[in-house]
Amino acid sequence: MELLLQTLVSGLLKGGVYALIGMGMTLIMGVMGVINLAHGQIMMVAMYITYSLFAIFGIDPYLSMAIGAPTIFVLGAAIQRYLLNPLMRIETILPENQVLMTVGIGMVLTESMRIIFTSDYKSVQVSYSNAVFFLGGVSFSMPLVIDFFLAVAMTCALFWFLIRTDMGRSIRATAQDKEAATLMGIDTERITWITFGIGSAIVAMAGAMLLPIFYLYPDIGGPFTRKAFVICILGGLGSTVGAIFGGITLGLAEAFGATYIAMEFEDMIGLVIFIIVLLFLPGGFKRLTGV
Amino acid sequence: MKNSSLLISLLLSGLLTIVSCSPNDSKTPSTDQPDPVNVGIVLPLTGKHAKFGEIEKLSFELALEKVNAEGGINGRPLKLIFEDTTGKPDIGRSAAEKLITQNEVVMLGGGYSSSVTAAIAGVAINKGFPFLVNTGSADIITEPTAHTPSGKKIDRLKKSNKSDDITTKIAELTKKAEKEAESILSRYAIFRLNPPVSEYANGIESFLAQVVKPQTAVILNENSLFGTKGAASFQKTCARLGVRVLLKESYDQGAIDFKPILAKVKDLDPDIVYMSSYVLDASLLMKQSMELGLNPKMFIGGGAGFTLPEFYTAAGKAAEKVISATLWHQSIPFPGAMEYYDDFAKRYNRETEYHGAEAYAATFVIADALRRAKSFSPEEIRDALLKTDMETIFGPVKFISYGAKVHQNRLPTYVVQWIDGKLTMIWPENLAKQKYVYPVNWPEERK
Amino acid sequence: MKKHTFGIVIAGILAVAPLLIDNDYYLHLMILALMWVVIGSAWNLLAGYTGQVSFGDAAFFGTGAYTAGLLHDHLGWSPWWGLLFGPITAIMVAVPFGWICFRLRGAYFALATLALNEVMRHTATIMDGFTSGMAGVMILQSFTSKIPYYYIALALAILSVVCVMAVMGHRSGYYFLSIREDQDAAESLGIDTHFYKMISLAIAAGLTGVAGALYMNYMGFIDPEVVFSLHDISIMAILVGIVGGVGTIYGPAIGAFVMVLAQELFRTGGFGVITSLAESTGNASMITIANNMTQAHTLGFGILVVLVIRFMPNGIAGDWEMLVKAVTKKR
Repeated sequence: MELLLQTLVSGLLKGGVYALIGMGMTLIMGVMGVINLAHGQIMMVAMYITYSLFAIFGIDPYLSMAIGAPTIFVLGAAIQRYLLNPLMRIETILPENQVLMTVGIGMVLTESMRIIFTSDYKSVQVSYSNAVFFLGGVSFSMPLVIDFFLAVAMTCALFWFLIRTDMGRSIRATAQDKEAATLMGIDTERITWITFGIGSAIVAMAGAMLLPIFYLYPDIGGPFTRKAFVICILGGLGSTVGAIFGGITLGLAEAFGATYIAMEFEDMIGLVIFIIVLLFLPGGFKRLTGV
Repeated sequence: MKNSSLLISLLLSGLLTIVSCSPNDSKTPSTDQPDPVNVGIVLPLTGKHAKFGEIEKLSFELALEKVNAEGGINGRPLKLIFEDTTGKPDIGRSAAEKLITQNEVVMLGGGYSSSVTAAIAGVAINKGFPFLVNTGSADIITEPTAHTPSGKKIDRLKKSNKSDDITTKIAELTKKAEKEAESILSRYAIFRLNPPVSEYANGIESFLAQVVKPQTAVILNENSLFGTKGAASFQKTCARLGVRVLLKESYDQGAIDFKPILAKVKDLDPDIVYMSSYVLDASLLMKQSMELGLNPKMFIGGGAGFTLPEFYTAAGKAAEKVISATLWHQSIPFPGAMEYYDDFAKRYNRETEYHGAEAYAATFVIADALRRAKSFSPEEIRDALLKTDMETIFGPVKFISYGAKVHQNRLPTYVVQWIDGKLTMIWPENLAKQKYVYPVNWPEERK
Repeated sequence: MKKHTFGIVIAGILAVAPLLIDNDYYLHLMILALMWVVIGSAWNLLAGYTGQVSFGDAAFFGTGAYTAGLLHDHLGWSPWWGLLFGPITAIMVAVPFGWICFRLRGAYFALATLALNEVMRHTATIMDGFTSGMAGVMILQSFTSKIPYYYIALALAILSVVCVMAVMGHRSGYYFLSIREDQDAAESLGIDTHFYKMISLAIAAGLTGVAGALYMNYMGFIDPEVVFSLHDISIMAILVGIVGGVGTIYGPAIGAFVMVLAQELFRTGGFGVITSLAESTGNASMITIANNMTQAHTLGFGILVVLVIRFMPNGIAGDWEMLVKAVTKKR
């Protein structure tokens, strides 16, 4: 029983972090249909920013989000504006040029960080890194609990932003029908780079939250990009609420798989769910819930 | 169309001529100094293994200065030419081919990961080219018989787990394999300084038998060559000691959360938990064990991750009193070990570890062999390496044959423990710096 | 005939090349490039001509490589049999996958191939009793010389280019194009799009499987992370296709040579030219450039990729006219 509860709690909490990682991507994929293969790498850059702020100025990782997220917003917006948008205007046989561009950007980001920080493993140890509390024999990791609630809060905030604000409405309009949005007087170009910036800023926050419990080196991005895909597809492209469901589903599936099947199947389980959802529930949870 | 096709063909043929005419950089004009003796070192300097590649490169350079200060190779300076493998076998092979044909090196060293080392070993076997491996730990690298048809049959027999008498069959096949391998053996010039992965945990066996005396064990390992082979060899150790293995699980590197699996381990309540992991997973495993309150009699690391300085920085108190197998530690009384450790720290402002020591020692082994070689032909260098018998910071080096292995340096492995934030030699007892701490009161240590 | 002048000239040059450059290192690079010609052409058939972008070519590549290696390991057959059986097993992986996943379109299909890639990698790792897992499969090379490998690789490269050319000249080629341009329209014209997509996938998978078997024979060592690598195989295949020119016959071939040579050029600092210049002149700034170059070569390669895609979105073959114009104008 305790084992079952511990598995459940671990899966849920991990799902919270996953949700934040997926949320940025779901926004980008939903609005622009771009498969962003540099997503994990952008998070890695954000983690280095957080790390440097901690190592040099001793700024707490959670507080440094206030600096990290805007910086990454600028980075993301610049990538979209100067590297991806020009590609959209050119007639090519395949639209996948943009995807490849993100591969190239990912390489450049990884190698730039390697030159600046070398390949050494970095980690940030704060007083609450290992803080835990027990509830009925089940251990809760403090940072993960905070991350979980932050993820939920972020989801609500983003949801509100998309539904209630003008900018949010423009983003949704662009996602639904770019040409119609243009005709309605929306500067869709501007919307695309703002969206990419917001998506990047969200994953930057995820990176900052992950740092106290994880570690950092330049090649860390790739696996997270792949996780983000799974989450997006599970939740449905462009759906913020879907991302949190997708994240938690993936977290739970991995945790239960690790406990009751074998940990070596952890990644496999995510992929199998991914393919099943692609085939039988294209559109993910978004299709079930409508948001 | 015709115009453009002409242009392309001109361009391509031009490219070919450029490629075939590009200068040969081993022929740098020398002024007054004698020509250096070139040795090629292949290392992962970018990519995911770059961290250890960097440590090894710095150690090679440190040792090179010493070698040349001692007079180099009979008056000629030794020169190490580094090539980046990026951790990929095909690029690693490009690097090796380039070193051999373009830079005209007399022998190769380095290699790092098993897949790259194996790819380069292929080139070395093919050409009978001398190659001193100092890190790649896959057993097959020094087992020429394993490549023969009979060798593969033995491998399958061993895997098949058939209880009926396979020992006579294996003995028969071994003889056959040796015969088949003769043609390879005559030009086999691959030597290995470090112990193969199947021997990493040997040192820990006597410690377990004499001190911990466990009844049950759980084995967790990373899904890599190092992890799976290390775990498999520890399983054999357990069988020899009569320890029951309750659970053996592998995981993919880079997991965030080990709690489900650790909760399962806690349920099983084993005497010892053995983990074969790299540094990052190692620290997460220990941190999360602490968070869960998992308290076996002992946590044992299978080397690699558990002995690096980053392990303690990342895991903090959770690392305290954890023991690990290791191939090397600066406090082992080998001549120059401590000096190397201090020099490295002074020069590069960071700590070194056993990979660096392997590279440092390898430089001296290379220099020693080249000094004794009658000429720099592959055959002569191979003969010189065969006669190697010297002391290095990594222990005495002598390339011998045993079991299926040839040209293998046989070394004991040691046991270290994190005591008050310091990695300390605790076993074998005659080399121990400090007495081991056992039993351990984990909750007390982690306060 | 005139149409094929270019291809024949290049094939001719390549056929005599080993006589001119008797150097193992350059031959090694050429063999790698020729292998990438096969993979790139296969990717291009599926993505460039049929419009189904694959992010999982490594699944077929690795299957081919493992077929060759495991036939040798388990049955004691020569790994060269892999050239025959590798494509068969690769197609056996591809057909069920295509049958299930071709109902997905665009980015969704691309993501499914990416998942296939990862599933195959994990399977090869986990089934270690059969595949030896991460310990990998090692065989000894059959030839000491590079020449046989070179000609085998060249034959396969020519075969794959001719194969793509033949398919595209055939009726099914037009169906492929119509699927790429507008799948619904193709369907309404009575084309069995699902079937033709499967044909395209099967040919592509078969060719990629051959390349995998060649890799096993030539490199002598494989493990799951090497041959099922998302980054080093699947994405490299796309880069080869895009840099060379999507939807062109010779594009992937050009892309393969450009990518392999560019990578090596960056890695070695211009084949060691810069290093040797730095050493011979003793110029301090040259030495720092040489040192940094070896450290930053992957960065340089990444920047090259970004620039090519940004300014030559149709690839070298696709933007050939533009390239020629740019060069002649400057003159």
